[in-house]
Amino acid sequence: MTKSIVSIRNLHKSYGKVPVLNDFSLDVYPNEVVVVIGPSGTGKSTLLRCINYLTPFDSGEIHLDGQKIDPRKTNLNHVRQQIGMVFQDFNLFNHMSAFHNVAVGLVKVKRVNRGEARSRALDELERVGMLQYKDQYPAELSGGQKQRVAIARALAMNPKIMLFDEPTSALDPELIEEVLAVMKSLAAAGMTMVVVSHEMSFAREAADRIVFMDQGAIAEMGSPSELFANPHKERTRQFLSKLGYRENERKDESDG
Amino acid sequence: MDDQWAFFLRILPELWEGLKMSMYLSVGALSLGLVIGLPLALVKTYGHGVLRFVVTAYIEVVRGTPMVVQLFMVYFGLPELGIVIDRVPAAIIALAVNSSAYQAEYFRGAILSVSEGQYAAGRAIGMSQGQAVLHIILPQALRIVIPPWSNEMVYMVKYTSIAFLIAVPELMAQGQVIITRTFRPMETLFWVGLLYVIVLAILSQIVDWIETRVRIPGYQSDRRG
Repeated sequence: MTKSIVSIRNLHKSYGKVPVLNDFSLDVYPNEVVVVIGPSGTGKSTLLRCINYLTPFDSGEIHLDGQKIDPRKTNLNHVRQQIGMVFQDFNLFNHMSAFHNVAVGLVKVKRVNRGEARSRALDELERVGMLQYKDQYPAELSGGQKQRVAIARALAMNPKIMLFDEPTSALDPELIEEVLAVMKSLAAAGMTMVVVSHEMSFAREAADRIVFMDQGAIAEMGSPSELFANPHKERTRQFLSKLGYRENERKDESDG
Repeated sequence: MDDQWAFFLRILPELWEGLKMSMYLSVGALSLGLVIGLPLALVKTYGHGVLRFVVTAYIEVVRGTPMVVQLFMVYFGLPELGIVIDRVPAAIIALAVNSSAYQAEYFRGAILSVSEGQYAAGRAIGMSQGQAVLHIILPQALRIVIPPWSNEMVYMVKYTSIAFLIAVPELMAQGQVIITRTFRPMETLFWVGLLYVIVLAILSQIVDWIETRVRIPGYQSDRRG
């Protein structure tokens, strides 16, 4: 069996008395794209924030590339460099141009020399189609452009895995596609990704696995074709039909 | 009218000396207040436990006591403990201590107004807490703090006038001397007041200019009415 890039084992996390993650376990393998769907408040964003230790959790383990992360022994800043994260509301550094947003991690965190940082930052901006906007500030960019820069910023650190937290939820409908296109090309290039998103077009096209999360745990998991066509659990069925994305419902039922 | 001008020109050299002293006190107190206040703000925002408690207590005590009390404590109180400080440095220290507490709160407010996501994004690319604060939070907070900070500057320039109570020859004290000598309090105080107004108008313009210079393109722009 292939070694997982990220292995999440028995994660528990509560906010006060409210359990958010309830014995959550998941392995993500190299080059795999896992799309996490599920009702809001079910712990999807918390899950991503636990993976890179932005949010501390109560119990459980996370292994990155075979190494157990122990916050007391492992340098979490070093761990986070290897885990790219893209936020729902972009969180581009407001006071930096697109170029500096991408270069700052290389210069300040990786301590790459300025010349190399420059060429790598420009490469990443080109990869997301934002090279011509390199001198613009976040406030001068559209939502879709901001998110592409945010993806470039994460990619610049050369991560082993990329986490996307509803990357298109804050976007106007006409801007969603440009971000999804970048994500699809990343997936096609073999990037390991965990994507919290309800963009079913992306899930269908790029996902290797869909995880349906409910009440802090995996309710159901499978390939997009399995899960969309034939969800086993009533809860999944309801959720998909609420999204209006369940395909061939009638056909499946008559087949079954 | 000619008489008024003649009077003004006659007292101007003295007032000018006083004004220079007032500026010296202001710059000293504001700078020292910044050097003390910014770390206080960081500790109060990010610190824990005893250190944070001590800083909070310092800020509350300083803000809760009259500036005259602080001035007299430094100039008349400390010598009782064997610490004798000249009047000018004593005035600067007292004003700076006072200013540091207010500046700390202005800085803290500015730091808190930088969105949490900015910090999270810094940490997410592997920055330490210190790096995220230094490279991401502070550059934005220092821009946000300019308008409230200029308020502190205006207060401080005017409040240096209490240094005349320990006979520092600043603008107000010079005015007092002139009044005692000439018995023309109305005109003297008019010119003293006018000099404060002129100096503060110039300083405000400089701060506005700095604020415009460091404004982030497209961000919070053109909000002025």
